Amino acid sequence: MKKSLEKLLNKPLPVDPFKPQRAVITDIEELAPDHKKFTFSFLDEGVAKSWDYIPGQFVMLTVPKAGEIPISICSSPTRKGFFELTVRKVGRKTKVLHQLKPGDVVAVRGPYGNGFPVGIMENHNVLIIAGGLGMAPLRSLVWYILDRRNRFKEIYLLYGTRSYEFVLYKEELRRLKEREDIKCLFCLDRVETPEDREWADIEGLLTELIPQVKLEPSETYVAVCGPPVAYKFIGKELLKNGYPESQIFVSLERKMECGIGKCGHCQIGYKFACVDGPIFPLWDTKNLPEML
Amino acid sequence: MLDFHIERAKVLPKSNLWSFLEGLKKISPLIAPVKRGNKTVFSEVNDISDITINYTRTILPPKKFLVPYRRVRFTYSTDDLSFSSNFKARDQIIFGIHSCDLHGISILDSVYLKENPDPRYLEVRKKTVLIGISCMPDDYCFCLSTGTAFPDGANWDLFLTDIGADYFVSIGSPKGDELIIELKELFRDIEREDLELYKRSTRKKKEAFKNKKLPDLERISQLIELEYESPVWDEEAKRCLSCGTCTNVCPTCFCYTSIDVPDFEGKTVKRVEFTTSCQYPYYSLVAGGHYFKPTRTARFRHRYYHKFVGYPYQIEKLGCVGCGRCSAECPAKISMVETLIRLRGTDEKEPGKAAEQTSAGRSL
Repeated sequence: MKKSLEKLLNKPLPVDPFKPQRAVITDIEELAPDHKKFTFSFLDEGVAKSWDYIPGQFVMLTVPKAGEIPISICSSPTRKGFFELTVRKVGRKTKVLHQLKPGDVVAVRGPYGNGFPVGIMENHNVLIIAGGLGMAPLRSLVWYILDRRNRFKEIYLLYGTRSYEFVLYKEELRRLKEREDIKCLFCLDRVETPEDREWADIEGLLTELIPQVKLEPSETYVAVCGPPVAYKFIGKELLKNGYPESQIFVSLERKMECGIGKCGHCQIGYKFACVDGPIFPLWDTKNLPEML
Repeated sequence: MLDFHIERAKVLPKSNLWSFLEGLKKISPLIAPVKRGNKTVFSEVNDISDITINYTRTILPPKKFLVPYRRVRFTYSTDDLSFSSNFKARDQIIFGIHSCDLHGISILDSVYLKENPDPRYLEVRKKTVLIGISCMPDDYCFCLSTGTAFPDGANWDLFLTDIGADYFVSIGSPKGDELIIELKELFRDIEREDLELYKRSTRKKKEAFKNKKLPDLERISQLIELEYESPVWDEEAKRCLSCGTCTNVCPTCFCYTSIDVPDFEGKTVKRVEFTTSCQYPYYSLVAGGHYFKPTRTARFRHRYYHKFVGYPYQIEKLGCVGCGRCSAECPAKISMVETLIRLRGTDEKEPGKAAEQTSAGRSL
């Protein structure tokens, strides 16, 4: 009667992964209607010092009295001492979060998820494609790369959203566009106002920008984040332009309660978005039904 | 004085069973199957005469004593956001668990302890003694197909096999061994003929499946992946009520939802976790109103997909132990066995294959 699982029980009790750390809101910036960027610092100095993450990872944020929500980190781990989350007011918990003020305390646990494969992206071109709020996790990747610019080859950023009003990180992206070491192409769904015209390179969808990218596809890693409906079209266009499906990484969103593979809600096919993702290679669409 | 014995198993005469149970109850709170109406449930017992030895399946699996269906994870104050918990695991003995449920608990062990281990589950599990008992199948059981008809490979402490006038007691852990030493006057040593009877009882259980409908689980993961668009899902899901009974009675289902419940003054908040079901629409609902599993078919199929494709990837074992609870309790009389047989199609079934238990306990 041999038992293969004995060793699972013969372990000391681990640190509770469900227990969050307190963090204070140090700054709130209104980016667009219903979109705010929150800056946090951990109250515990030891945690603040040791806390590290990878672009594309997320945290479980406790909004006091409302509950926990998974939110992608939008700051870069290359900038220490704080972290930032961009949150759209879209549901019950984010509505409560949007009422908080600088100085208010929240609780955070994480970082969770796999993050973008920044290690294997090194010495390659990187094409970053952001749609709408998908700019948030990709902002982390953009600054990670720019802060270690010599490790990467050519960098492109494609960003599309509804109209200029909904553009996130406006000033920051404007300055990025002036830089020589990253090529930025912006599109808007509707170009109506003078600001729209000044901002947009084209009126249309992200898929129309992809053919304008001058990169050798086999030497390029692609990072995509956007609304669920966009992935199919962007994926198809990327494949059409010769980007290998194993080098295209998409960041997916699902319902989550725990972030550590225990609650089951975030299953995509046989994988958990929280521990096996949220970053998946496009190749996985073959394995994981209903991924896109 | 150091008490030590090197027997791999012991024999408990049936006439000593009640003294054994009485002895267990003196050591720790005792949980055992008891009659509730015409069904059986696992319940803490005060009077050992309430215990029922011969039962087929309980309504809920014993997992409710390891992971309560509703539990408070933390309490936090809204003033300083300090999280605390007064959770404390207690010693407990669960007696009378069938082989399928022991395997179910082992699957939960893997889910909760392999990666990102949950300290609370580990604490409960370390303080729990599992004592199994052999059983005979009814029409809903298909544990022979899932490789869980016998307790081999599962995590347990003692296992009692009915060999006629006695129970053949297998010892599965140091905790189990300690119980035997504590109550040693109730046991006798095994003899040659006990071993023979023990082997015969194994054969008897296998033979009991002879005339039953069993699903062929050979390469079941691949079957479900290839038949993902099969019309069988739609047809079966049409009868499904999305009531979630199947997942609530399942010994391996672990999905839960977590909510923060403030008190009336808004001063302290309880973080409550409760069992949920992938059959409920809100299971995949995200803020903004998008359902990732919008149709009943998608949710119905997800349960099979997770059991037979998801678990093998996540914990290297099938997520189904063949206990038959989901089929027995389904108000729409949806049978897991029937669905799997329909999915495979009758023409490609190899006779005899289904009724063979693989040593690995799973066949992909």
